Parts: sequence; structure tokens; C-alpha cells
Amino acid sequence: MKVSLNWLSEYVDWKSKFESPSDLADALTKSGLEVDEVLDRSKDYDNVVLGHILEYGKHPDADRLTLCQVTTGSGVVHQIVCGATNHKEGDHVVVALPGAVLPGNFKIKKSKIRGVESSGMLCSEKELGVSEESEGILILPESVTVGQSFSEYAGLDDVILDVNVTSNRADCLSHYGLAREIAAISGLEYSLPIKTFSTSASSTKKEVGLFVKSAEQCPRFAGRYISNVKIGPSPTWLKKYLEAVEINSINNVVDITNFVMLELGQPLHAYDVRELSGRKVIVDLAEGGEVFTTLDGTELKLDGSELMIRDADKPIGLAGIVGGKNSGIKDDTTDVFLESAYFKPEQVRRTSRKFGIETDACYRFSRGTDPDGVLLALNRASELIAEFAGGELYDDHYDIYPNHIRKSAVTVDVKDVTERLGFEATNDKFESWMKGIGCEVEVSVSQAGSFLITPPTFRQDLSIKEDFIEEYARLEGYDKIPDSEPFIAHKAVPHDVNYILKRQTQNSMRALGYSQAINFAFLDEKTQAQILGDVELLNKVGLKTSAEPVKIINPLSEELGVMRTSLVPGLLKNVSHNSRHGLSFGKLFEIGPTFSKDSEGYKEEWRLGLSAWGKQSNIWSKSDGPLVLEVKSHLENLLTNFNYTSFMWKGNVLFPEFLHPGQSAALFLEGKNIGYIGTLHPKLNEDLKIRETAVLAELNLDLFFKGQPRLRRTKTFSKFPFVDRDLALVVDKEISSGEIESAISKAGGSLLQEIHVFDVFEGGNIEPGMRSIAFRLVYQDTDGTLTDEVVNALQEKIIAAVAKKFGAQVR
Amino acid sequence: MLKNQINEIRDEALQAFKGAASTKELYDLKVKYLGRQGSLPAIMKKMKDVSPEERPLMGQAMNQAKDALETAYLKFEEELKRGELTKRLSEEKLDMTLPGPPSKLGAHHPIEMVFDEIIDIFSRIGYYVRSGPMIETDDHNFGALNIPPEHPARDMQDTFYIDEEHSLRPHTSPIQIRTLRSEKPPFYVLGPGGVFRCDSDVSHSPMFHQIEGLVVDKKVSMADLKGTLSYFASEFFGKSIKTRFRPSFFPFTEPSAEVDCSCPLCNGKGCRMCGHTGWVEIGGCGLVHPNVLSASDLDNSEWQGFAFGMGIERMAIIKYGISDIRLFYENDNRFLEQFRR
Repeated sequence: MKVSLNWLSEYVDWKSKFESPSDLADALTKSGLEVDEVLDRSKDYDNVVLGHILEYGKHPDADRLTLCQVTTGSGVVHQIVCGATNHKEGDHVVVALPGAVLPGNFKIKKSKIRGVESSGMLCSEKELGVSEESEGILILPESVTVGQSFSEYAGLDDVILDVNVTSNRADCLSHYGLAREIAAISGLEYSLPIKTFSTSASSTKKEVGLFVKSAEQCPRFAGRYISNVKIGPSPTWLKKYLEAVEINSINNVVDITNFVMLELGQPLHAYDVRELSGRKVIVDLAEGGEVFTTLDGTELKLDGSELMIRDADKPIGLAGIVGGKNSGIKDDTTDVFLESAYFKPEQVRRTSRKFGIETDACYRFSRGTDPDGVLLALNRASELIAEFAGGELYDDHYDIYPNHIRKSAVTVDVKDVTERLGFEATNDKFESWMKGIGCEVEVSVSQAGSFLITPPTFRQDLSIKEDFIEEYARLEGYDKIPDSEPFIAHKAVPHDVNYILKRQTQNSMRALGYSQAINFAFLDEKTQAQILGDVELLNKVGLKTSAEPVKIINPLSEELGVMRTSLVPGLLKNVSHNSRHGLSFGKLFEIGPTFSKDSEGYKEEWRLGLSAWGKQSNIWSKSDGPLVLEVKSHLENLLTNFNYTSFMWKGNVLFPEFLHPGQSAALFLEGKNIGYIGTLHPKLNEDLKIRETAVLAELNLDLFFKGQPRLRRTKTFSKFPFVDRDLALVVDKEISSGEIESAISKAGGSLLQEIHVFDVFEGGNIEPGMRSIAFRLVYQDTDGTLTDEVVNALQEKIIAAVAKKFGAQVR
Repeated sequence: MLKNQINEIRDEALQAFKGAASTKELYDLKVKYLGRQGSLPAIMKKMKDVSPEERPLMGQAMNQAKDALETAYLKFEEELKRGELTKRLSEEKLDMTLPGPPSKLGAHHPIEMVFDEIIDIFSRIGYYVRSGPMIETDDHNFGALNIPPEHPARDMQDTFYIDEEHSLRPHTSPIQIRTLRSEKPPFYVLGPGGVFRCDSDVSHSPMFHQIEGLVVDKKVSMADLKGTLSYFASEFFGKSIKTRFRPSFFPFTEPSAEVDCSCPLCNGKGCRMCGHTGWVEIGGCGLVHPNVLSASDLDNSEWQGFAFGMGIERMAIIKYGISDIRLFYENDNRFLEQFRR
């Protein structure tokens, strides 16, 4: 909320306690009303001062220009060239001296105009930004003080605070309310300059009938009839206050209602009585299906839950939110019905949220206005309208308030205050602080140090013991809270196991050379669909993915409209970003949830995603293996780190469409498909402008983590020598090395400790369609030294097995 | 006669050993003279022609010759080896400024690095991690946190809605509720995770990260809370860091406070990071509102608590001087590479 300190000074003499606006701002911030900005408006007019024209003459080289000698006091004289003609010797004027910056970022500098030095400018009202249009320069009365700053002279020396009023402190959403708060924290006096006003003999109640049919939603409604109003411009002081807090001046009556809202926090509404059909004002719930047109012409379809202000046959206002187009104040309005009411905050909020309408009035009503302030505001506005719009105030005003709202009393024991705050609270201080914020305080007779506190109606936020404990701390100053020792747990509880496992996974991936990526959990629906293609194929490799992504009702933009179903779109975006910025190789991993919905509700499946692209140039090894197999070996390392030994890669299945069909594999962990690895489909390289070969992998972490952490049992190993044999087999190209390896392993039995491929060869003297795969086999026995006979027999057995199963020939 | 032959062979061998240019050549000569098929053992075959009286003498001569050759061999071998090693060392000289084959540890993400650090600091005093889903129920996100429908505090979190009953969690507080409802007090819970708000500008990202701390025990005070957060700030930012509380409002705590710490960049003297105030805001906190305890079936006359929450990106910005919030989600390697530990 914007607060004018000049305006605030009407209610509290803050200057007597605080040396500067920033001191006041600090005090407010310290007590819980954070001041975001202190804007010194007088700075807008630095170097703009009042001057006196000592000499007036013509510019020697220009007929249309004048040359003046102007003093700004203390004997200082400035030579100024001026284009205007309405001034003369002896006039008092506003001078912008070099260094001044006039509205519109117009910087004043010393300059030469047609060869004559000019150090400043004589200003017009328009140049000063105080009026839209003006002719010639501003001539001031003779009585002004030469040398005075213009901002001070014109009352533009206001300081504006931007106060961040938390949603519980609706009582501070006004200048008077803030003055009251400043008084409470500083001990200053505060008061409202209410003038007396007189009413005519005519009766409000005879002119307009008021019926509150929904007392539940509208606990209090007051109104007064005012006749013979003359709509016109507001007085200068009023305009100035409103402008200071960035409210446009409209006309005297509307400005006064706005002024009172900003002064007291009570929104008001003025109806043109001519438009009140049947001369009736009725407060009631809407009729379902009705249409209401707001002040700015928006048509709202009502469903019956809205609280309306109506006349005899139509709605004329959405209670507490916005008036109707049909009943507003017009230039020729003479008779008005002035409304001041207390609406239920929940009611106003529900309706304003439903229609997405935010107004200054509903902002205050929905946070809770003061039910006790209704009449005060009505009278304040009445008085001002009578004075500045010439209205005749009718007697016999309405104030329908069937069930008085009283805050209930709360018992607070000062011992509790001390205990919860951790520093000594005293009875005296407690009593005086509570009285300071307007509470009724009753000392308990039965229990020393116990008080019965009734908060004022404007403090809607005070209702339980803890609220008063906070008030005490706030008013004493949070600085009083001491630094104790850290509060240490006295019960040992383990972390969430998934947290530990995720962290282990991160450590493994980093050790394998992958940097961690974090992407948004939402993205553009179309982009996701385009990249992923048929999501059924993701389901087939063990990643639960619903065809329809989970949608956000109110996304920030289309681009962030749905929840991700895979980590791939995000990782590819990162690859593309890096590639475009000249990072021609890299490895990323991401750990995060993906989202789906089924008949049981929303599902979040945690996944590990990998992306690797390009290769770092290497002077040592000219023949790097395929990137996809490098990433595969990284994943195998990860599996081994988690103590998994039983896993396999399967190539011949249907893979997601974004993968290269010939360079993909599904990962089976202990028989269960938990994800895939593959090279990015070349067509996507083109679409996403990724120059390098890229590899993707995605694992279902929920399945990966199942049963983790596993019990680790150290295996003993043989003390006897090992025997290694090489075995080169010529087989059909279509037979995968993995299949042959499993067959060898099976035939080799327990003495065969290790198998690995060390060479693959095609062409040469190998028949077309065939290839040679060379395995190194390591044999070892735990019970003794292996003999050649035993190893040879096993080799024979293996050769026979692969010959039978794959037609493999020993090369 | 035979003895002469033996000595001749010995001398010839010694001469040959002397002339050997490499250990390999030397070895070959050793085989030639001393090996199974060597010239010296060949003479042994002639022993049968020697008279029995002479045989011991012959045997002696043979052994002497063998010993002499073995000794000579070892001597020459050592010399040659020394020379060969020197040669090898000079041949194997590498340009040690050449790059090695590529090998690189992956980098941290600053968000994860901050999470790890914070969690480690609190783990040391016995706090433990709990988690929860990102799509949460209205009750977990608001109701159980003392934010009933139509409460103005709902404006504080501009929430993304999934349907009438579900929204993307706007804070990590629902993790508190899940824990309060599934485990037994006392609690010392940390709830890290991603959160979402409809807000996007230079300093706000629609997705960001928070960590929440919750303690529920028999007696808990604001001083305990401040002590805990002071401990945290000095561990996280450095020993000289001071902490202060400012009053604030959160529906789920009462009293509530904003937590500032002295600016780690300028040590409280005032700089651009802290807006020349010497203080930076690091989070919000307060004593758990009794309604929050009772909404999770905890007797609020028996149990008390405190809670705190911090924005992870903000902590990273303060600690590492990150200039633009968008950097967190671009995953540009030039950015990530800088976060290593």
C-alpha cells in the first residue's frame, strides 16, 4: 500500500519521534509492516527553486528570445535565455537550475543559446508536470520566498512509503489505521480530525427504502441520503493526496469516497438516486442466471451465490466489489445515496475470486474491515461531501446492524509469553502493550499474571493466545529474542531411504562424468507430444506414461501447460541449448518425477534421465567406440554400484520413436524392464538443431530402488592361479554378442569366472553376413590349481554349445 | 686335454660375453655356452671317455668354468641393464604438458549442492528428511496448514491448480503434514523439494525449490528457533554471520518471523546484494500454529513446535553470487561446471 507521509501527518505527528522517513520505515519494518520503498518525491524537483527576475531584455541575436538575469536568493544571479514572452522584470518565477531533471526526464544543463550563455530555465506549469497544458511560464505571486525549493512551495515534498501490509493486517490498509499502528509501536498520540456537521430536517428513510435480506453475508449496512450535490472537480488538497498514492481524481464525490477509504480503510459507495428504481436499496443474494454489468461494462453471469445490492427490479452493485454501470455518479447527479457497510470477508473474496475482479474495495473487504468503523466512515464522507460538493445531508440515516460483532475475550498468562518467546515478559509491559494496540485488558483476580484480553474489532487477526504472544514480541522488538543453542533432536530417526538412494545415484553419476540438470516439471504440451511420439512405446519399456498428460488449469503460459511425462524433452532442450552455445560435447543427468493419471489418481514416477552428446577430441585414441555403448557401460557401473549383478540389455523390441531403432536397448533388471538406452533419432537431431550424435537413457527409479539398500556380503576369492583362454567365434551378424556370452557362461559353469569381448571383426576372410567375435575367458578354481585337461574339456564343451545354439565356428 | 677344451670354451665365452651389445644378446650367448644344448654341457658328454681318476678333476674344471661364466654373466648383465634403462628413460621422455585422455567428474547443480549442505548441517543435529508428491491435495497444501478456503492468505501463494481438489504444491509445507499424520511425535523433520507458484520475472521462477524444517516437541520457544537458525546460518555462510528476526505473517505459524542474516558478501557493511542494508532475507519461520497441530490430531496442549522454510535458489544466489534466476534451469554446462565439491 502506498502511504503519503504528508497525509499521515494529519493523524499522527510521526516527525516528533522519528528523525527521517527512513527511520519511520525501519520502525515499521521491525514491527512487521515491511516497507519496500521510501520514495522522496521532493527529489523529483532537485535544483528547481523560486527566483526573481532582476533584469529583463532581448536576446542580442534572436528577436523571439528574452535574456533575463534571475536571482535565486543570497545574491546569486543566473543569466537565463527564455523563449516565453509572458514575463517581465520583477516577476517571481520557477527556475530549473543546471542539474535539475524535470518530468519526462528533461535534463537541465548549462548551455549556449545562439551564442549567449544560459544557465537554467524558467519553467511553465506543463514543464513542471503540474498541469497538462499551460501558456507561457508560471508567474508566482510576489509574496513567495525567493530561493525556496519548488517542491516545498508547491507541497510536492511528500515522501511515499510502499508498505507491504501482510494479509492479516487489514487494519493497516489506511492512513488512519497506519497512524494508529505507529502510535502503538512508538507511544505517540493519534487522532482523527473529525469536524462536526449538521443535517437538514429531511429524513433519509423517507427518501430511500433500505432492506438487508442477507444479514449473514452483510452484518452491517449504513446509508445516508444527500441531496443538491454539485458534481465538480475536487479541491487541490484532495487531488494532491489521491495523486500522491496514485489514485486518479475523477470528481468531488467519487474522490471523497476514495479518500475516506484510504483514510479509514472503509470502502464506500455512492449511488445516483435517479437510477434507483422504486427508490429502494436491497441487499440480497443474486438470482441464478441474472446478468450484471459492472461499472466498466463487463457482463457477469450470476449463479445465485453472489451478494448483490439491488433496487426494486435489478442488481446495481456486486456487494463490496464493484458498482453497476447503471447507478454510478454522473456529471449531472444531484441526489446520492451513500453506502457504508460491513460485508463478510469470505463472501466478498469468493465472488471476487470467481470473477477474477480485484478492486481496492474488495481488497479491503476480503481481508476484513472494521465493523465498528462503518458509521464513522459514513459520517466522515458526509461531512466532506457537504463541504466540498455542497450537498445537503439528510437526517435519520440507516444503520442496520442486527447482531453486533464482538471479539471474544482470551485469557493470556504472562508465564506462557515468557516461555514461548524465550525471554522474560513482565505483567506491566504486557498490560501496557495490549492496551496500546486497543485491547480491553482485565486483570485476573484469581491468578496473578493472568489477563483477560478483548481485542478491538479492527484487529481481526487477534483471536488466540499465540496472537497476543506475537503482539508482545513484536512490540517489544524481535531483537529481544535471544540466540539459544540449536534445538537438537533427542530421538534418532533415519532419513527417508529414497533420499539416501537418490543422493547415492547422484554421486555415482557425477563420478561417471555426468553433471546434474534440473528442468521444470511442466512444459509445452505440443513439444512434449512431438518429441515423445507414441507414449505407449514408453510404457512398453517399463516407464509408466499416460497418453494424456496431466494439465494445469491456470498455467502461466501454454509453454508451461502440462506436467512432463518423461525427462527426455527437458534433457534434449538442455542438449540443444549447450550445442547451440558451442559446447560440442557433454553429459547430463536429471533425477526427478514424471507425472501421469490413472483411475486411482495422480502418479509421480521418479526417474533417472541421461543425455550425452558429442565427443571430446582425444589425441591418444583415434578410434572411440560408439557413444551409446559408452553410456551403456556407465549405466552398468551405476547398476554395479547398487550391487546389482543380474541385468541384461535387449535390443530387438519396439522402442520409443525418438530413438534410433538400430541403436537402442531395453534394460532388464532381474527380469524386469526398467528403462531404455538409445541414440537420439537423427530426424530429431535435425528438428532440435543438435549437430552432435546424442544418446538418451531413462530409468524408472522406483523400480531401480526397490529392495535397496541391499545387504552386502563379501565373496571370498580363489588363492589359486587362473588360466585364461581366448576364443574367437565366427557367427551370423544378427546374433548378439550378449546372447553368445550367456551361452558361454552357462556352458562354462562355475569355474568360468570371467568373460569379456576383446575383439569384433567383419570382412577380410570372414564370409559376408558373418562376423568374428573374440572372447577372453578366465578360469579359476577355489579349491585347487586348474589342470590343462579340465580347462580344455570346458573349452570343448563351450565350443560345442555355441556351435549347436548359434552355428558358431571357431575361427 | 679335455680340461684345455673346457678352458678354451670358457675363455671364448668370456670374450663373447664382453662383446655383447644388449641383455638379449648376452642371454643368447649364455644359452649358447651354458644352455642345455650349449657348448660347455656338450663337453660333458665326452666325460665318459675320461679315465675314472681324471673325472673328478674334469668335473672340478667344468664347475669352475661354469661359475666363472655365471659370475661374468651377472656382471655384464647388470652393466648392460643399467645402460639399457638409461636409454629407455631418455627414449620415454613425454611432453608432460600434453592433455591426457579425457576424464572428467560431473558437476553438481547449485540447487542440489545447497540442498546437500543444508541437509547435512541439520542432519548433524538429528533432523531427518521426509518427502511428498508435487501434486498435492487442497487439504495438504492449505486446509491442514490453517489456510481455509477464502482465506486471504491463499493469495500469498499464487497456486497452479490441477483440478478442484489438487494443485502443485506452492510450498514444501505439505511434507510436514504428511509426516505429522503418519509418524509419532517428537518430530525433527526436513522437507526438501520443488515448489510452484504462478509468478515469473527477473527474480521469480514458476518452479523453484524450498526446504522446510519442522520440530514438534514438548516445549519449544522462539529462542530455540532462533538458536537453531543461527547455528544453521553460521554453518552455511560462515562463523561471523549474525541472524535477526523480523515480525511477519504466515497462517501456519504464530508468532511468525522473517529471518535475515548479515550479508555474507559484504559482512554486513552494505553492498548491492543486500540492497545496502547489510542484511539479506533467508527465509520465514515461526512457532507452529496450534490449529496446524490439531488438524493433524496432535494435542496442542501437549505438543509445541517450530517451523522454518528457506528458498534454495535464494540461498544459492546469496552464497554463490548467481546473477540470474534463469541460469538454474538452462543447465548450461559453462554454469554447472563451476559447482564442484
